[in-house]
Amino acid sequence: MTSAPGTSLAVARETKNKVTARKRIAVQGLIKRFNTGRGEFVAVDRVSFEVCQGEFVALLGPSGCGKSTILNMVAGLLPRSDGRILIDDDVVETGRVNPKVGYVFQRDTLFPWRTVEHNIGYGLEIAGMPKAERATRVADAIDKAGLTGFAQSFPRMLSGGMRQRAALMRTLILEPEILLMDEPFGALDTHTKLEMHKTLLDIWERERQTVLFVTHDLGEALTLASRIILLSARPGRLKDDFDVSFPRPRDPVDLRETAEFGRLYSHIWHSLGEEFRRTKAD
Amino acid sequence: MLNHRSVILFWQLAILVLLLLVWQWGFEWSKALLPKAYVPKILDPYFVAKPSLIWQSFLRLGCLNDPGEFLTCVQSTDNNLWTATLVTLKNTWWGFLFGSTTGVIVGLVLGRSDFLSGVFGPYIIAFNSIPRIALVPLVILIFGLGDWSKVATAWLVVFFVVFFNTFEGARAVDRDQIAAARLMGAKEFTILRTVVIPSALAWVFASLLPAVSFALIGVIVGEFIGAERGLGKLIIEAEGRANASEMMVAIFIMMFVGILLALVVRSLQSYLLRWQPQFERSE
Repeated sequence: MTSAPGTSLAVARETKNKVTARKRIAVQGLIKRFNTGRGEFVAVDRVSFEVCQGEFVALLGPSGCGKSTILNMVAGLLPRSDGRILIDDDVVETGRVNPKVGYVFQRDTLFPWRTVEHNIGYGLEIAGMPKAERATRVADAIDKAGLTGFAQSFPRMLSGGMRQRAALMRTLILEPEILLMDEPFGALDTHTKLEMHKTLLDIWERERQTVLFVTHDLGEALTLASRIILLSARPGRLKDDFDVSFPRPRDPVDLRETAEFGRLYSHIWHSLGEEFRRTKAD
Repeated sequence: MLNHRSVILFWQLAILVLLLLVWQWGFEWSKALLPKAYVPKILDPYFVAKPSLIWQSFLRLGCLNDPGEFLTCVQSTDNNLWTATLVTLKNTWWGFLFGSTTGVIVGLVLGRSDFLSGVFGPYIIAFNSIPRIALVPLVILIFGLGDWSKVATAWLVVFFVVFFNTFEGARAVDRDQIAAARLMGAKEFTILRTVVIPSALAWVFASLLPAVSFALIGVIVGEFIGAERGLGKLIIEAEGRANASEMMVAIFIMMFVGILLALVVRSLQSYLLRWQPQFERSE
């Protein structure tokens, strides 16, 4: 992999993906400007990339590089300043929810007044699913998330990891084909994070959703993703694009011990390190 | 090691007994022991009555002197203790209920709409700046001496307290929680019902406990200024007779009414907010 500038890189990926799979997310010339008190600044600068069916793409970059901003625009939570975003060839409109898309927040957004089962069942409940059917699905999801016995607990009684597993299940129970994740494990300690990686890998390797996963943690990106898109420090530009072809199923702990992991880690780290230094220099 | 709770209970009871003793006999003791100039006037039963007199007044006002005559006594006196209590309790409750319901509704609507809160904001602030008690004579002029004027007075005090808290609560709803609900397919009304209202409820309840005592204050003031029945009316009547012990009876009953209402709100609160740590049942 070389660090070719934006346009030729996008072309290279396009030709490569044409043969492999149908594209689900297409980001084209995306620009986001913010107006602050001291004038306008560019958070995201002409970013283009595509995510194909069944890909697990990590959007990696130093903090403040606009990666969450990109994700929020893909989700339709934030208006874009310029450019286009297509999901399955439909233009994403701000404020319109696409039922095929699931979103997991960085912050804990479980409803504190609902028990775990009512949190996980929220989407099904408002979709009007009959109670009996819902109960079966929710119980199944609770088991899958390793939260058996905590169905009646309120979120504050759970640990951070358990809460994020519940939040993940709350999204996954709606069976989204496309999953957008905004540093979902960013607030967890290392050990809990590894457990969450295991949970997510188990689910993803079985169900193969199309995932766009925002993170600043290179180890996390390498563990989970099949492809890493590297963004530059502010303003966020596409810097590089790496394939992560470690065999699956992956074990988040064992994987880190392998030589290939180390090689790819230091290779990307070199590129990422420049951006970290630029962030610091700002 | 002494049991902590029983030590506290001991001191609570000891203070109560001491207070009652001083109240009952303090004036006579100090008259017997102290030079005249040092006798505390505050202990004079003419001003503060004393427990035994209060008890007698309680029995008389409550028609409890002769158990056989209870019914005829209650029916013959217009504003006996029990009707007065029921009337005050009832008016407080309705005033509280109307005031808090309207406060919650208007608070939610304005809290979720920048346009409406912009338009009505100054009016609400202006109206809230009027000392509510100043409106009581006007309310009595409009609604008459009966129960409705008391309900309206209680409404006036309760509404704004609950409104402001609900408004803040509706503003303080976590944007990410709303976004999460929306991304799971919730429409505006569903978001209001399943996210905004539960989230604002903690704020609402924070205002309900003060609101219930405000409602009682509103009703009593209304009864002071013009009423046919009620505990406030009882106090005004006793004042006319310079009867401190009857006033004390009404005051104590008010205290119990206040406690009762607060308990009702409190238990509702601890059920509806059981997801909050401070209301966790100790298991």
